[in-house]
Amino acid sequence: MTARMRFGWLDVVVIGCVVALLAYVAYRVHGHLVYHWNWAEPLQFFFRRDEADGGWVPNLLIEGVIITLRVSLWGAVLGMAIGLLAGLGRISQVALFRMISRGYVELVRNVAPVPFLFIMFFFVGNQILKPLGLEGVQDAVSPATGGVLELMFGELNLLRNFAAATLALALYEGAYIAEIVRAGVLSIERGQWEAGDSLGLSRLHQLRHVILPQAVQRITPPLANQSIQLIKDSSLVSLLSIQEMTFMGQEIAHSTSRFFETWIIVAAMYFVVCFGLSRIYARLERRINKSRR
Amino acid sequence: MVKRHRWWLDTVQFIALVAGLIYIAVLGAEQLNYNWQWYRVPKLFWRVIDGELIWGPLIDGLLVTFEITAWALPLAILIGLTTALLRRSNSFAGRWVATAYLEIIRSTPILVQVYIFYFIIAPIFGIQAFWACVLALAFHEGSFTAEIFRSGIESVAKGQWEASDSIGLNRVDTYRYIVLPQAVPLMLPPLTGQVVTLIKHSSILSAVAIFDLTTMALDLVAETFMAFEIWLTVGAIYLVVTGSLSLLVGLFEQRIRARYRR
Repeated sequence: MTARMRFGWLDVVVIGCVVALLAYVAYRVHGHLVYHWNWAEPLQFFFRRDEADGGWVPNLLIEGVIITLRVSLWGAVLGMAIGLLAGLGRISQVALFRMISRGYVELVRNVAPVPFLFIMFFFVGNQILKPLGLEGVQDAVSPATGGVLELMFGELNLLRNFAAATLALALYEGAYIAEIVRAGVLSIERGQWEAGDSLGLSRLHQLRHVILPQAVQRITPPLANQSIQLIKDSSLVSLLSIQEMTFMGQEIAHSTSRFFETWIIVAAMYFVVCFGLSRIYARLERRINKSRR
Repeated sequence: MVKRHRWWLDTVQFIALVAGLIYIAVLGAEQLNYNWQWYRVPKLFWRVIDGELIWGPLIDGLLVTFEITAWALPLAILIGLTTALLRRSNSFAGRWVATAYLEIIRSTPILVQVYIFYFIIAPIFGIQAFWACVLALAFHEGSFTAEIFRSGIESVAKGQWEASDSIGLNRVDTYRYIVLPQAVPLMLPPLTGQVVTLIKHSSILSAVAIFDLTTMALDLVAETFMAFEIWLTVGAIYLVVTGSLSLLVGLFEQRIRARYRR
């Protein structure tokens, strides 16, 4: 039952299948499609020579990674805020807050992601962000502030689109974060609430000083995993014309017609980021568990 | 200790809040001089011409969404079961392949997977766009179903394995007669829940040329410029379909729990 590794018939079958599949793919690519691989063409989109001074500057793919990370970072910050509020709303004693949070969470969970993002993008972009006047930011601020803002939010003339897409993504992730928060708070034993009660703490103080400090430890690992999910989901904002990694992949694939190479490169880049993060999180978790014992 | 709140007061407040949000949205659209054309929306569902019922693009799209889901679900279950069994096998190659599959699927976005199936796998194997999309979804959901199968199999008590070992059953027979009959009832609710996930994720296929509900919405918005009406309608369709499915899955789960939990 405790499976000892050994070389058996199953290995033969599995290796046989994999080899047969690879051989068939190789045959189709070279024999049937007669595809000529050209990795150099899409790879030059990592860095390019600057025409003015001849130095290397980041090209579309690197720019895409930066925008992906930017969208993910702001999405995480906003999503956490929304998720925390909605998660605490779900367990509130006030029925109104429970209804609002429940309505929000169920709405997100039952509307497909692409229509949800489009609806939020249009509504948020047109109705909430337009009155804020994000359009004229680049003219209103000094060059120095503009530089800082550009580092944080990307090109300022695209700021409204960026903000709307990020907010739409955050609203999508917020529902999942809300469920994590809720599960974490509910996992704290009732006795902790009662103890807080008997000390005469108000419910808000019980939450703040007794429950949340314990819940935070429990929800950190699932929240870390959600951040990986967020990076993956951020690829969806490419459908809203935000120029992140997937969008750049599409640009490059269509402009060079190097579909095979480009998509393999883009997938590999996501893999490196997400797999790397999941390894780092797993290591941190193990270390924290060890130190706690 | 627990303060009683008057639930009806909260309900009224909630309804007032939702109404207020809708009012603000409508008012905002008014200020943009948005021309609401709701009267054109019913035609997108169906029309009656000469006493003959003709389904509109939205229903057509919904049917394609269902079709994709119907093909992808059994495939995803098959992929998930194979992966879960390979991961628990004592075969080195089997475990390696299953783990590699899971890690690759989990560490790349579903949108990129769809592009890979559409632009790379489809031409290599010479399959149609529809099947490329079905396979992309099936391989993506397969990583979820694998996890469902894993936890289901692991929930079977260790003693059951030892018992079947001691009466001399081999691994295949152990799975067939002892483990799966106990694990499958526990796995059924989350597996049916995958239908909801599949319908939702199928919207991502609209990024490539497949005529599902979301693609229809994109096309209609481009054609008619009724962005708000169409997106809200399509959102509502998804909400109704997956919402009612979620409810059914919830009921199913309760029944299974009541029957199998001691």
